[in-house]
Amino acid sequence: MRLTRRTRLAGVALVAVASLTLAACGGDSDSKSSSDGNVITVYGTNPQNPLIPTATNEVGGGDPLQNLFSGLTAYNSDGSVVNEVAESIEPNEDSTVWTVKLKPWKFTDGSDVTSKSFVNAWNYGATAANKQLNNYFFYPIEGTDEEGYTVDGADTISGLKIIDDTSFTITLKEPESDFPLRLGYSAYFPVPDAAYDASGKITKEFGERPIGNGPYKLSKSGWERNKQISLVPNPDYTGAHKPKNDGLIFKFYAGGGTDAAYTDVQSNNLDVLDQVPPSALKTFESDKKVTAYNEPGSNFSSFTIPERLKHFSGEEGELRRAAISMALNRGQITDKIFNNTRTPATDFTSPVLDGWVEDVPGNEVLQYNADEAKKLWAQADAIQKWTGSFQLAYNNDGAGNKEFVDAVTNQIKTTLGIDSSGKVYPTFDELRKDITDRTIKTAFRTGWQADYPSMLNYLGPIYATGAGSNDGDYSNKEFDKLVQQASSATGDDRYKLISQAQTILLKDLPAVPLWYQNATAATSTKLKGFEFNWQQKPDYYKLTK
Amino acid sequence: MWWYVGKRLLQTIPVFLGATLILFILLKLRPGDPILNLAGNKPVSDEVRDALAAQYHLDDPLFIQWLQFVKSAITLDFGETFAGQPVIELIGQTFPVTVTLAVMALLIDAILGIGLGTLAGLRRNGWFDSSMLVISLALLSIPIFVLGFVLQLIFGVKLGWVEPTVGPDWNIGKLLLPAIVLAIANFAYTIRLTRTSVAENLTADHVRTARAKGLSNRLVVRNHVLRNSLVPVVTYIGINLGSLMAGAIITETIFNIPGIGNAAYTAIAKGETSTVVAIVTFMVMVYVLMSLLVDLIYAVLDPRIRYV
Repeated sequence: MRLTRRTRLAGVALVAVASLTLAACGGDSDSKSSSDGNVITVYGTNPQNPLIPTATNEVGGGDPLQNLFSGLTAYNSDGSVVNEVAESIEPNEDSTVWTVKLKPWKFTDGSDVTSKSFVNAWNYGATAANKQLNNYFFYPIEGTDEEGYTVDGADTISGLKIIDDTSFTITLKEPESDFPLRLGYSAYFPVPDAAYDASGKITKEFGERPIGNGPYKLSKSGWERNKQISLVPNPDYTGAHKPKNDGLIFKFYAGGGTDAAYTDVQSNNLDVLDQVPPSALKTFESDKKVTAYNEPGSNFSSFTIPERLKHFSGEEGELRRAAISMALNRGQITDKIFNNTRTPATDFTSPVLDGWVEDVPGNEVLQYNADEAKKLWAQADAIQKWTGSFQLAYNNDGAGNKEFVDAVTNQIKTTLGIDSSGKVYPTFDELRKDITDRTIKTAFRTGWQADYPSMLNYLGPIYATGAGSNDGDYSNKEFDKLVQQASSATGDDRYKLISQAQTILLKDLPAVPLWYQNATAATSTKLKGFEFNWQQKPDYYKLTK
Repeated sequence: MWWYVGKRLLQTIPVFLGATLILFILLKLRPGDPILNLAGNKPVSDEVRDALAAQYHLDDPLFIQWLQFVKSAITLDFGETFAGQPVIELIGQTFPVTVTLAVMALLIDAILGIGLGTLAGLRRNGWFDSSMLVISLALLSIPIFVLGFVLQLIFGVKLGWVEPTVGPDWNIGKLLLPAIVLAIANFAYTIRLTRTSVAENLTADHVRTARAKGLSNRLVVRNHVLRNSLVPVVTYIGINLGSLMAGAIITETIFNIPGIGNAAYTAIAKGETSTVVAIVTFMVMVYVLMSLLVDLIYAVLDPRIRYV
């Protein structure tokens, strides 16, 4: 072919296309994730923060962290607590000063886990200048403010005192008899000396390749961004959660989509998906290609009606709240909309917790009773005539929100004969911004995912006067007092006080309880040993194939 | 011609500036609070909030944020994602997957589309032509996500011929099914466009002249019909690479492909302005370069077009 002007042009075009294609071939190479052997692949998403215990507060990084580190205590599948690194955690008589003694324990780099490993890590997390996102967990300890930051910019928490290498004390602001329950949470994990650089900052390298003391350690390939995190058992681990498998691979699903993950479980490319996608909720329990799990879980759903809304304060408000609650047929919604992957609520906590009872006095207000609802609403109208529309705000980026809000407002409309509708926010953070700024003018959906397995964690942080998550600015002195008393009580006394506190909530209804979210999961049919823990997560160490 | 290429490349500068500015304005209009996302909706002190806002330039005036972005972008520094990964690295990781997918879809589209379209055009109004029209109409009417899920279910889950999802260890074989899904809607258009173009050119004067000169049918079709017919088709296919990459987001989600569409989606959901802008700018640039490429291919197909 003669080299004409045109063929040269074609050459330019070809080179351009070829370079695009060549660039395209860079991605596929090396490590094939092994599906053979006893390595378990589980659903994951790319961690949003470095893998530092005090920095990670979302599940993408949280799940791997839970397996890479061990805290003072660990949670069993049934929600009870065992000592892990702690030899003992003993309170003084009013549960304000806790003395911790440690077992001999090592990080995977061979260094010892000492009092310093804990105290330094917590100090680091609570110092505002370090911008750690789990600061919130340190707020019960003396020397921190409401948000859990050290007071006056100090870089140590004054409530922590090192006695020697294997013991230290924790002084709390207020009595808290279930404080050890908190200590299994990832914010309280120890961090080795190797993590800090000369200036005392935790290094970026550590955040990428953490050195832990948990049941697993990072494999050689470790965390591959946007791909996977691979863990192998830690041979030196002597704690309560000794791995029964040969490793875990958290396989990332781009965009967080569980649909693709479900398909992978069906075709044996993925062993564990710990949240069934909405599209499969109707079918997953009869799907022969997966093993299905569906049990009541620890997430509590409600909607909050702030007292500042017109018609919702004082005696009128109390009547209206009760009327709205009784106008709702929760069972119908959990069945029709959620295919029984929710369980109608009978209190403000969760049935998976120690001490939970079904018959809290006053909880008949959570039963559907149209006649009573109408009567109460009429009584409220006698105090002041109802005007306007009852709106319920929700975020549209959560699956099923629109559907249930439509159902709830429809039931209110039908039963009470008032105008009621949903108010949509495109994303969760937009809704939350209006809630935290107190600019929201309607009722709004709320929920609670507990930080540690205690009923009090469902009450204090949400409904106590001035509490961090008290979105409706609810305040009741008597309730505050009962919660405080329950915090320092133990055993049956404690549960009695909690019941009394809940009875007050059922009368005031600062939030209207809706349902407990079930924990759903689909696993490959070959997988054995699957069991939900109280956090609605599988206990990864128990899984085998 | 090189002068023409240079001139076109210079034109990308205002495109870059304009596109990024528009993106910044659009993302600013998105309400909500990225810091809340970042903090997982837990209480954050004002001090930390300010520090985070400063780190990601969230509190600066829009124009300043944009200037900052342009300044750093010139040195290929697009900052870090909220997850602490350099954005340029994120693009480097996810972009090749999407490009491979788009190029594969493009090839399927071009080969099948032009081939079948030409045949249909040559035998217009015959049974082959009619059935192509019906089939392409059917393909055009199916939304891409329906097609994606159905093909995934049939070939991946039920028949087990291919792996139903691509995952992090992607390769060309695994991308085949998603590429077919991505190609299908476009390829129906290509068939129709080629068919009409070929049919039209068959009756043109120069074709009649060529036949009158006694050229073989084969030569007439190849040199006189196809070459002329391909000009509009090439425009369409070329510009398509851009839209294929944008359209890939649905396919990427269905088949769990770790591509740039998914990266952009995650960034938008979290309000990571600088990440979104960097990714979209990158795609805009690809679009611009593709249209340049298309213009250059014109000259190959139609010698009357000269770039001076």
